[in-house]
Amino acid sequence: MNKTNKEILKKFREGEEKFLLGKIAIIFFAIIFLIIPLFVRDPYFLHIFVLVFFFAYLGTAWSLVSMAGQLSLGHAALLGIGGYTSTLMFMEWGITPWLGMIFGAAFSGLVGLIIGYPTFRLKGPYFALTTIAFAEILRIYVENTEIGPFNIPLRAAMGLLVPLKGHAPSVFQFANKEAYYYIIFAMMCGAIFLSYTINRRRMGFYLAAIRSDQDGAEALGINSTKYKLIAMIISCILTAIGGTFYAQYFRYINPERAMGLGMSIEIALVGVIGGWQTVLGPTIGSLLLSPSGELIRAYLGGTYAGLHLFIYGLLLMIVILFLPNGLNDPIIKALKRLNNCLRRYPAKKELDIIKSKS
Amino acid sequence: MSAELLLSASVMGLLLGGLYASVAIGLSLIFGIIRVINFAHGGFLMMAMYASFWLWYFFQINPYLSIIVVVPLFFFFGYIVQNTLIKPMFVRERALVVEPLGVLLLMAGFDLVLANLALLFFKSDYRAIVSPIASATISLEFIELNVPRFIVLVLSFIITGGLTWLMNYTEIGVAIRAVGQNREAAALCGINVYKIYNITFGLGTAAVALAGAAMVPFYYVNPSMGLPLGVKSFIVVVLGGLGSIPGALLGGLILGIIESITAQFVTSTSAVIFSFLLFIIVLFVRPKGLMGIIEA
Repeated sequence: MNKTNKEILKKFREGEEKFLLGKIAIIFFAIIFLIIPLFVRDPYFLHIFVLVFFFAYLGTAWSLVSMAGQLSLGHAALLGIGGYTSTLMFMEWGITPWLGMIFGAAFSGLVGLIIGYPTFRLKGPYFALTTIAFAEILRIYVENTEIGPFNIPLRAAMGLLVPLKGHAPSVFQFANKEAYYYIIFAMMCGAIFLSYTINRRRMGFYLAAIRSDQDGAEALGINSTKYKLIAMIISCILTAIGGTFYAQYFRYINPERAMGLGMSIEIALVGVIGGWQTVLGPTIGSLLLSPSGELIRAYLGGTYAGLHLFIYGLLLMIVILFLPNGLNDPIIKALKRLNNCLRRYPAKKELDIIKSKS
Repeated sequence: MSAELLLSASVMGLLLGGLYASVAIGLSLIFGIIRVINFAHGGFLMMAMYASFWLWYFFQINPYLSIIVVVPLFFFFGYIVQNTLIKPMFVRERALVVEPLGVLLLMAGFDLVLANLALLFFKSDYRAIVSPIASATISLEFIELNVPRFIVLVLSFIITGGLTWLMNYTEIGVAIRAVGQNREAAALCGINVYKIYNITFGLGTAAVALAGAAMVPFYYVNPSMGLPLGVKSFIVVVLGGLGSIPGALLGGLILGIIESITAQFVTSTSAVIFSFLLFIIVLFVRPKGLMGIIEA
């Protein structure tokens, strides 16, 4: 980077530092989330929060791909790969899921490379369609395969039950919900931090350039395929780790739920409604969608099956039509406005008025 | 595998392919002209089938007769959807080329709304009509041909022919093609591009409604049937070439035959894998499809 670029970057970061209220809000929420389990013992309540963090984590991982201007509708496949790899290694060889998680992540990253490399060179909606096709291939294959290659017992549509070991932290099993709560909370914070770091660094600017004008970015010497691939691989690795958490938390994983198109769409919904291509958007989306979806399903699901998905669909349409950057935009804007009011920072117009009066 | 079995599997595949083609043609038309992926295509099919089913259920109207009502109804439905939902996105971009992913997501949301509205009101029951037509067969030497399925196969050729004729020999068709080729130039020639978009979307929706009504005699109607068939339609149009109407017919028939023949070796649920594999291979080897007009 030459000197002018550094200056631009410095200005960009200065603007960020002035946004004190945003930092306060984030720290406030982090503290609230950290102390919730100390006061709330109701497992169902904690379960809802685990779901919020889980989908926020997946949405953040998913949004890394959309930051490169690509829409993935097959992220459930990567979730399934992560969950199946760690669970199968645990069942067959007794390898702890903490370690299996890493293998699942590596495997998933490789898959991301294989899908991404040929499709990222195409324009238009081809990537989205390929991810759907890939996820469906994997789901149908697992659903119909009792014993896979190398005698791997995939158990077809039945799915895998994680063998119960009681309270055993060494194999990622805990007797209480609080442990899962803190693990997924830490994972979410890690993913958000990673996304934030990527966005602040050179790669974030490259991704922004690629998604707004790929030809223009390439003309400036950015290797668009390379950066899309890096984003894709990081996203795949994170999603696979989420898959291991999913399997260990529910102690059960099946192809229809963990690899199905429904799950892929749910991950994308959280991201798009909150604000795809933004750092905090998926978390905001999950904070809104996951509890409402879970509560509607729990209390009205019997009589009004499908109501929560109907509302999700409606919300998605409203967001796309009126808030193309998701709910993240108005919230951040409102916070910034409040921040500026609180700082009594005279806006340029006001300065001009003061100058003209004096 | 004997030759006779292969032949009968091919005929069955042709019938299945006719179904895929007749569903996918509307999607291909919309993509070719407006350049948006209508993710709610399967949802439209589901709704058209329900419309035809309820007409039979309450008024005992033959599904083939219900076409007279369902097709114009869905033309206007598509016209209104494009005019009220998709047009604002074009207007917002202040350009005639809109970011395709935005519309894709918008229509994905619409698909969720439609499928779950159907689930809320019609419940998840599988519904089918009871009619002597449904089980009518023609006996050929080696195979029993189900008449309603055969009608859909014929229909897929009729829709292709009809749309091709419309595109080539009518004023509105020429206008539609002009818009598909170059929107700015078409607009400069005095063509109302948005109106053409509305009509094209209406035509695509009417085509899928026609297929849906003709499918009612032999296909179960269910709120969640839309998305799998919609995804199948994406495969068909990519295989045939995004935007090409004869391509969609060809792609549908090829897909049906491949699925039917592979189903002889593996279970029919696993056979679907091969259609997805074919899709990915075509995308990598020849992204513009067999008869594609749009470069990838």
